Formats: sequence, structure tokens, C-alpha cells
Amino acid sequence: MAGNNRKMEKESFFSKPAVQSITASLLCIVIGLLIGYIALLIINPVGATEAIITIIKNYFTYPSKAAALKYLGNTLVKAAPLLMCALSIQFCYQAGLFNIGAAGQYVAGAGASLYFALGFGLPWYICILAALVAGGIFGIIVGILKAYLNVNEVISGIMLNWIGLYTVNMLLGGVKEVSSPYTLSLASTNPSAIIPSLGLEKLFSNNKYVTIAIPLAVIIAIILKVILSMTVFGYEIKATGIAKDAAKYSGMKEKKNVILTLFIGGGLAGLGAAFLFLTGYEQWSVTQSSVPGMGFNGIAATFLGGLDPIGTIFASYFIQHITSGGSYLDKNVYPSQISDFISSIIIYLCGFVLFFKFFLNSRIRAGKEKKEGGNK
Amino acid sequence: MVLLLQYTLLFSSVLILVALGGCFSEHSGVINLGLEGIMVMGALGGALTLKVISPTLPAIVIVLTVLLTSTLCGVLYSVLLAFACINFKADQTLVGTALNMLAAAAATVIVKTINIAENPDNVSSTVQYVASKKALVVNIGSFQFNWFMLVALIALIAAYVILYKTRFGLRLMACGEHPQAADSVGINVYTMRWAGVLISGMLAGIGGIVYITAGVSEWKFENGVAGFGFLALAVMIFGQWKPLNIGLAALLFGFFRALSNVYSGFDFLAALNIPSSVYNMMPYIISLAVLAFTSANSRAPKAEGIPYDKGSR
Amino acid sequence: MALESAYAIEMLNITKRFPGIIANDNVTIQLKKGEIHALLGENGAGKSTLMSVLFGLYQAEEGTIKKDGKVVTINNPNDANDLGIGMVHQHFKLVQCFTVLDNIILGVETTKHGFLQKDVARKRILELSDKYGLKVDPDAKIEDITVGMQQRTEILKMLYRDNEILIFDEPTAVLTPAEIDELMQIMRNLAKEGKSILFISHKLAEIMSVADRCTVLRRGKYIGTVNIADTNQEELSRMMIGRDVQLVATKEDKTPGDVILHVENMTVPSKLHHNNAVKNVSFDVRSGEIVCIAGIDGNGQTELVYGLSGLENITSGKITLSGKDISHASIRERSLSGMSHIPEDRHKHGLVMDYSLAYNLVLQRYFEPQFSSKGFLKKGEINKYAEKLIDQYDIRSGQGAPTIARSMSGGNQQKAIIAREIDKDPDLLIAVQPTRGLDVGAIEYIHKQLIARRDEGHAVLLVSLELEEVMSISDRILVMYEGEIVGEFDPKKTTPEELGLYMAGAKRKEAGA
Repeated sequence: MAGNNRKMEKESFFSKPAVQSITASLLCIVIGLLIGYIALLIINPVGATEAIITIIKNYFTYPSKAAALKYLGNTLVKAAPLLMCALSIQFCYQAGLFNIGAAGQYVAGAGASLYFALGFGLPWYICILAALVAGGIFGIIVGILKAYLNVNEVISGIMLNWIGLYTVNMLLGGVKEVSSPYTLSLASTNPSAIIPSLGLEKLFSNNKYVTIAIPLAVIIAIILKVILSMTVFGYEIKATGIAKDAAKYSGMKEKKNVILTLFIGGGLAGLGAAFLFLTGYEQWSVTQSSVPGMGFNGIAATFLGGLDPIGTIFASYFIQHITSGGSYLDKNVYPSQISDFISSIIIYLCGFVLFFKFFLNSRIRAGKEKKEGGNK
Repeated sequence: MVLLLQYTLLFSSVLILVALGGCFSEHSGVINLGLEGIMVMGALGGALTLKVISPTLPAIVIVLTVLLTSTLCGVLYSVLLAFACINFKADQTLVGTALNMLAAAAATVIVKTINIAENPDNVSSTVQYVASKKALVVNIGSFQFNWFMLVALIALIAAYVILYKTRFGLRLMACGEHPQAADSVGINVYTMRWAGVLISGMLAGIGGIVYITAGVSEWKFENGVAGFGFLALAVMIFGQWKPLNIGLAALLFGFFRALSNVYSGFDFLAALNIPSSVYNMMPYIISLAVLAFTSANSRAPKAEGIPYDKGSR
Repeated sequence: MALESAYAIEMLNITKRFPGIIANDNVTIQLKKGEIHALLGENGAGKSTLMSVLFGLYQAEEGTIKKDGKVVTINNPNDANDLGIGMVHQHFKLVQCFTVLDNIILGVETTKHGFLQKDVARKRILELSDKYGLKVDPDAKIEDITVGMQQRTEILKMLYRDNEILIFDEPTAVLTPAEIDELMQIMRNLAKEGKSILFISHKLAEIMSVADRCTVLRRGKYIGTVNIADTNQEELSRMMIGRDVQLVATKEDKTPGDVILHVENMTVPSKLHHNNAVKNVSFDVRSGEIVCIAGIDGNGQTELVYGLSGLENITSGKITLSGKDISHASIRERSLSGMSHIPEDRHKHGLVMDYSLAYNLVLQRYFEPQFSSKGFLKKGEINKYAEKLIDQYDIRSGQGAPTIARSMSGGNQQKAIIAREIDKDPDLLIAVQPTRGLDVGAIEYIHKQLIARRDEGHAVLLVSLELEEVMSISDRILVMYEGEIVGEFDPKKTTPEELGLYMAGAKRKEAGA
């Protein structure tokens, strides 16, 4: 009898949507890491265990606490833009739009923020705004094409990713170092364009790249959560996403919402780029011939986060954690892209999450019925 | 001028193959956004074959072996899409995107591993195939005929015949238009959709190797295939899911892509002094414009993108 | 030698359970060779489940199926096809962009070296269509032909497969009266040629006119089988519903008041073809009256309502609501000006299926100060309001206000929409096929609500395909045919037969005030 009761409790525990999402995400992570480990074993069995531990440990590889903190800072610096891209994709997904163009919106944001910083010499807050607007404009193009001309947002998004890349390469060619393909350093050209740290750097062993961009990204995630679950706008966005026709019937301006959503999504991705490039952590290479992966990794983070802004905070950190961890591998034995490999396996597995939940729920229902039947 | 024609035909061949792949998949009811990734995998299989095959073998053997390995890699990789989207009803956009990323990552890892094994200091993701690549082309005057151009033409004709003249084509299209109707007359929708996706894997796999051997003799796999899989989707939409229209659309897109390779050879274009980035952007801008004009009245298969569930009728 | 069975197909003591419901409880139906056997029951009586068992889509927990006296197992539709069982589904299973011929041969194609042999098929189709009087053009595309011809295509599909047992699932719902007569004749011909026919319907008159015997189901239970010659509509109706029902709604006479809705020369384009779906239509709806738009499905009623509600832009004409010009107003403006709309497709338009019942009940009003302030939703208020409507309109759902709309029954989903739309207290209520797919209890309820609106002095515009409903609750009838209003009638002074002629386009008169 007691055992029976416990089973009942367990069932109702697993029937909670949040618990199901977290379980599913954890399963994806475990399987993803396992497949990554198998790949490492195939490449070179001798160091594979150590390699996967290196990836998972990331900055914990450093024995001194100070060094570990410093490199935790580095991971966070890159997790912030990733979170922004993930939020961009997620916000659009709520409205039924797959914003794969986040990658291009991110590129646009990078181009605008760096050009405003290096070309015009403007302070950081203006540069951030420029990134937001540039990303937003890229989003709006996708939105208009979708709303008025029925163009699939995935395909137009991809096209704009490439258009964005070449445009930004051209634009930033004007503010690059003479002897390298990289843009000028912010610290020496225009220090006022660097996002302030407000003392945060001290928490991370004086890692100068740690800025208020990191807490800002988290705050933005929370704001989005509030918008989606508590506001009239969120109500409309989600209704448009789940039931476009019902939204139209109820008098919502569906086209306006599509465009507005993509503007916000684009703005978020653009901001993400500013959050990285305005720390000085990276410089843009004007000869790069592929679209930065940040926007695509955002897809992994958003689905792993169970399509919830708060979940995405953790998922973004995790994805960046293993990506950074990959860079500690011995390059002459294991390619660092093994981290990308693991994150893409995780995205693929996320495709099965719905089925997993459905399976879980039908098992729970079947279990319940069996029990009820037994009681009769 | 000959060079422009040559590149136009080459890039058109790629687009024809991959767009036809998309066409088969979509006619069966599955949106295949993973074409890009499948191309990478096909390219990888073909490139590695070219790398290890003896250049002294007869050209026909080399061509056929490369075709075979590319096909095989493409088909095997597309199994991942079919499995998730057909049997597990996964979100087709999500899975397609995951496959694109996975292909780029996996190909890079594989190539790097091979390179490191050969020479621990070579950590690049580049495969070279200078010697055996010669087997793929026949020089006719200054025009370099590539056997893959013929393959694309055959694929185009075969696609037309299969879709419109055979039992298989009729059943395939029924599954993409109205799977419930197909099911009610005893057609196994899942089987047909698997077939559609695997054919798309085959064609996109071949498209991949054609793309990376067009004009270059080595490929850096970190770069993937630069959105060509998506250009092919644009070609497919512009061609309204019909093989012959796809052929024509591919020629148009192929021309603009070729232009970015050879514009410097034309004095009047070189004189304009337009940055190369502009030419690189061209195909994407054109496809965006074309999509804007053709998407409103699209004749896409009605049931595409909707997982088929036997239960819901 | 066993005696040859008199029955083509028998389903004996079938029981099929679903979680929480017994869909078929010990049901038996025996179809004689060469007879037309009706299967009668309300929506939800278990007819579709029984047919799904016959087609192997579901497996029954108990009971057996016999073909020609021998027990058979049917695990999937292919098994049913092999046994010679074919079905014309209520929603046709036809590929729109294929030709008639392609649809008929699909699944049983004749090929040579893998290539389709369409000429062989064409010859056979023409022979069959000659023999049974089923006129079709084999090379026309389904999207270009009439509903009647689509149905004939479905029948040919069965004949082309040499099916002996033909099942017609609610086949008359989409047909004009003339087409219905024609179908009845075709069914008689088929039976005469030795085919056994199972005719699923809830229309008593049609059953009386064409069937030999009738089996009745009610709430999953087998009620009985009767010879049509020995029964009448009243008895069948009692068997189907379990009590006497008043099919005719009662309402008092009332003199209509001011014009609420005024439509002048309205034209609405069609999404399906290049012609206009609604052509130059004018009419009025006054306060205190129910005006009904009657007509066969697909004659522009849907688009007429789209034009009125703003779901589609009108290309010309003028719409006035309570004296205010709303010809080009947005959907929201129309809603705020006093228009409510119970949509035709409650799943597509009426509800956000994955939202809670509470969220759905404020779908038209979530932005009002009562339910939101400064851009934030007042969830407490929304829930309170939802509880009030649930109580007042007797909406039954598993967990009350937080119930997800998708998990509710069709009848209760419709009640939720009606509650939402009526509680807005609109000047004009547009109701499109509000009773479709519901059981008698729910239909009665909805009719009462509509009449109550009228009695309170508001205007109601009802679009209905059911002549019975049209005759019983409207104060004025407008008949639509091919996008035009071809006649105006007083229900007290007309007959279903007269309306039928106008609905079929056989007669027309100018609609006057």
C-alpha cells in the first residue's frame, strides 16, 4: 500500500510540465555528452575520458581559484550574447516564427556597434542602441516578407545571414587594422565604447571583459518571461503563435504582431552582438567567410531551455560552458569542434522532446487508469 | 565568356540536384531544411574518396565511385531526418537546422582527425584532391565539361518521368497533398515519406560533391557549403515544385553565382570596381527578391511540414 | 456444404472502449446482400467508432466480424479493402490537384514496366460511369469540379476496386436537393446490381425514402434494427434520441424594430477561385428578428460572413452597423461597435485550442480595462469572469477555468464560444452553423439562446445548412445561390420544397425589402 502511494506521488510529480521539460533537457544533455564521448573514443581511445572531463570541467581545469574565476568570467562573457540570441529565437518561436535569421541579426548588430564605436567614436550606450536597431531592421525585413509576401522566414533568414555577413565585412573593412583583417582594438581607439563593468570585474579576478552586459542579459531574460506570461502583448504573441486564425478572428493585428515580434527578436540578437564586441573580448575579422555560429547555437540553448526564458539562462550557460571547454582540448589530438558536435546532437535530440512528453503523459494516464480500474 | 558558361552550368547542376532533392522530399510531405547538412556529408564522402582513390584509375571508375560514396553518405545522413520527422513527428524546422549544424561540426571533426592522424601538426579541416579531380572533367576546346553536368541533366529528366509518369510518383505526391487520402487507399504514408527523404538525401549528397569540386581542388570543411542548400530551396520554390521549372530557375541562379567567380575576367565588370562582397551577395539577394515575388501564390504541397499521424483523420 | 450466408457483412456484439468512455457497447449490425441498410444515430452515438472498427482503424475489445458467414480479422484499411469493403467518407479523401482519374486509380494503379497505364484505366472508368449513371470527366481536376461530381468520383473509386460492400458516411450533407435525389437513385441502382450498402445518416426523411432496414445506436448502445416498411419517422426519432423531442422551437411573434445591420451591394472576393464569392448582395437585419441565410454549402455564405466580420476585405459595397459605416473597419472595430460572431470553424477561428478556457473566454475582451491595466493582464479578474460564464452558461470542463480548451468536448467548446459572444451583449449576433456536429440537447440549448437574443430585442443573423433549423427558428429567410441572394421568404408561408428549388438555383426572384 505504501509503495503504491509513493508511485502515485511520483506520477503526479512527473506530470508537471516544468518537471517534464527539465527531465527531457537533462536527458538530451546526458545522451549528447555520451555520444560526444563515443566520438572521442573513436578518435583516440587513450585520452578520451580525460578529454570529455576537460570539456565538462572547462575553467575548473585551472587549479587556482583565481584563475578558475577569471576563466569563468570568460565563459560568462560569451554566454551573455548566446543568451541574447537564444532569447531572440525563443521570443519569435512563441509567435510561431523560426528565427534562424538571428545569426544574421547578430552580425548586423556586430557591424553597427563596431562601426559606431570605431568609425564614429561614439560612447557605448549609443553603440548598443545602434546594434539593437540594426538587428531589428534585419528582423523587420524578414517580418515584412513573411507578413505581406508569405516568404518562409527560415529561407529569407538564411539569405539575410549571408547578405549581412558580406555587408558587414565591407563596412568594417573601413575600420580595420592595417596589417591584419581584424577591426581596430576598442581599448586603444575608443575606450568610451567599452561597456562599463561597475566593479563586476573584481569578482572575477579582475577579468576586464566582465561587464554589466552579463547581468543585463539575465535581466532581459526575466523581462521577457514577464512579458510573455503576464502582459496583453504576451497574450497576443502566444495566441498568434498557436492559432494564427483565431488570433485574426479575435481582432489581433496578426501582421503587425509578426513584424513587431521579429523586430524585437532582431533587436535582441543585435544587442547580443554588442554585448560581446563592446567588451573588447573579440575583434571582427573582415575576411571571415562563414556566418558566426552564435545565432545557431542560440537555437540549441533555446530548445534545451525548454522554450522558457529562465530555463534558457541556464541552457545558454551550459552550451557556452562546453563550447569553452572544448578549447582546452589538446588540438593535436582532438578537434575543438567536438563541442559544436555535442551541441548539435543536443539540438537534434530536442526534436524528440515533444514525443518524449507525449509518451510520458500517455504512460502516466495509462498508469492512472489501471489504478482506477483496480480500485473498482 | 566560356568560363562564365562553364561555371553557370556547374553551379546550375548543383542547384538542380539539390533542389530536386528538396522537391522529392516536399512532394512526400516533409520539408527538408537539412539539405545544406546533407550536402556537406555528401561532399565529405566524395572528397575523401577523391583523396584516397588512385588518380591512375580510368576516369569512369573514379566518377562512379565518387557518385556512389556521395550518394551513400547523403542517404545515410538523411536517415536522421526521416527517423526524427516521420516516426517521431519532430519539428521539421528544428531537426533540419540541427542536421545542418551537426554536419558542419561532424565533417570538421572527421577531417581534422584524419589530418592529425597523417600529420600531428596539420590541424586544418581541409581536404585536397588535386590529382583525382582531373578525372571529373573533359576538355572540349577551352570549355571544361564536367561529368556531373550530365548527371544533373539525367536527374532532371528522371525526376520528371518518375513524378508524373510512374505509380511511385503518383503515390508520393498523394502523400504530400493529402496523406489521409493516400492512407485510405492502402498506401503506407510513412514508407512513401521515407522514400521521399532518402531520395532527397541521395540527390543532395551528389549536389554536395559537385559543389566542392566546382572550380577548386581543395575544400575547408569548417565553411560548410555556404548556404547553397538554402539557395536550392529558393530555386525549388521559384520552380514551383516542378522539375522542369526547377531546371530553368537553377540556370538563372547558377548564372549569378558563377558571376561572382569570374567577374574579374570581364573588363567592363572589373572596371566598375565593385567590391567582391557585392558579387558574393548577389545570389542571396536575387533569391530573396525572387521569393518575395513568388511566395504569395505558392503551390507548395498542401500537407508539407505536417507530421502524419495515423490516429487523426 | 455450409449454407451460403444471407449476410454480406456482420458485426456481432462489438464492444470498444476508450479511456473513460464506452464508444460501442455490445453493438450488432447485420448487412444483407443487396440491401440498403441505414445506420442511424446522433453525433457521438458511436457510428464512426463502429465504422473505424470495421475498417481496422481500431480493434474491438469484444465481438466478431463475419464476411459471408465466415469470421474475419481486420487489422487495417487494407484488410477491409481486400474484403471488398469501401467507403465514401463524409470529408472526401480526394487529392485536390489530381485529376478524377488519378484519384480513382490511386493505390490500385495498372502499370507496365513501372509506368502508369492511364488509357486502360480511363476506359474502365468510362464503362463504370456508364453502367451506374455516374457522370464524371476523368481528366478534370478535383479542385475544378462540383461537390456532386467529387462524390461520384468517390463512388467510382469503390466500384473501380470491385467493392461489394459500400458504406456512405453522411453523404447528403454537402449536396443540393436535386443532387440528393440523384444520389438516392444511384444507391438504388447499386443495390439492384447486387451491391450491399450501409448508409450512415441522422436524416430521417432520407432513411425513410431509400433504406430497406435501419439499425439505431444511442450513446454507444445498440437500440434495435427495424424494417423501414414497418416504421415511421416518429418511431425512429424516439429510438435515436430516447425521448420525444420538440424539433420545432417555440417562439412568440414579435415585430422587428430598427435596422441594425444594413448591407448594400456588398462584393467579397474568393480565396479559392478568381470569381467573386459574394456578388453585389444587399439586405437588412432588424432588431428583434432572426434572419437566416439558407443555402447549400459553398454558395458564398462563408465569404458573406467573412465580409461582414472583417476577416476578408470587401471589394465594393457598404456595411452599416447601428447606423455606423463599418465597410472598411478592422475586425476589432467591428467587434467593439457591437458585432459578435460565432464562427463556422470553432477549432480554427473560434478558440485558441491550447489556451485555457478562461483565456478563451476573454479572447475578444482581454484588452479591456476590466481585464488588463497598463498592459498587464488581470488574471484574477479573468478567472472570476470565466467562473461566472461557466456557471451561467453551464459550460462543463474538467477543471473549470484553467482547463485547456482542446481537452473539452465539442459541445462545451461551442457553449464557451456562445457564452463569450453573447455576454458581450452585441447589437448583432452572427452565428454560422452554430449547431453543427452537436447532439440534440446542445442544439436545443443553442436555439434557445438565439431566440432569447431576439426576444431581448437584438438582431441575429444565422447561417445554416439545415433546412429544418432554418424553418423552425428564423423570422425571415434569405436564400443564397452562387454568391447571390436569390429569394426572401417568410418561414410561415413557405415550404422546404420551395426553398430547395431556390437553393439549387432552379428558381430565383429579386430580394425586396
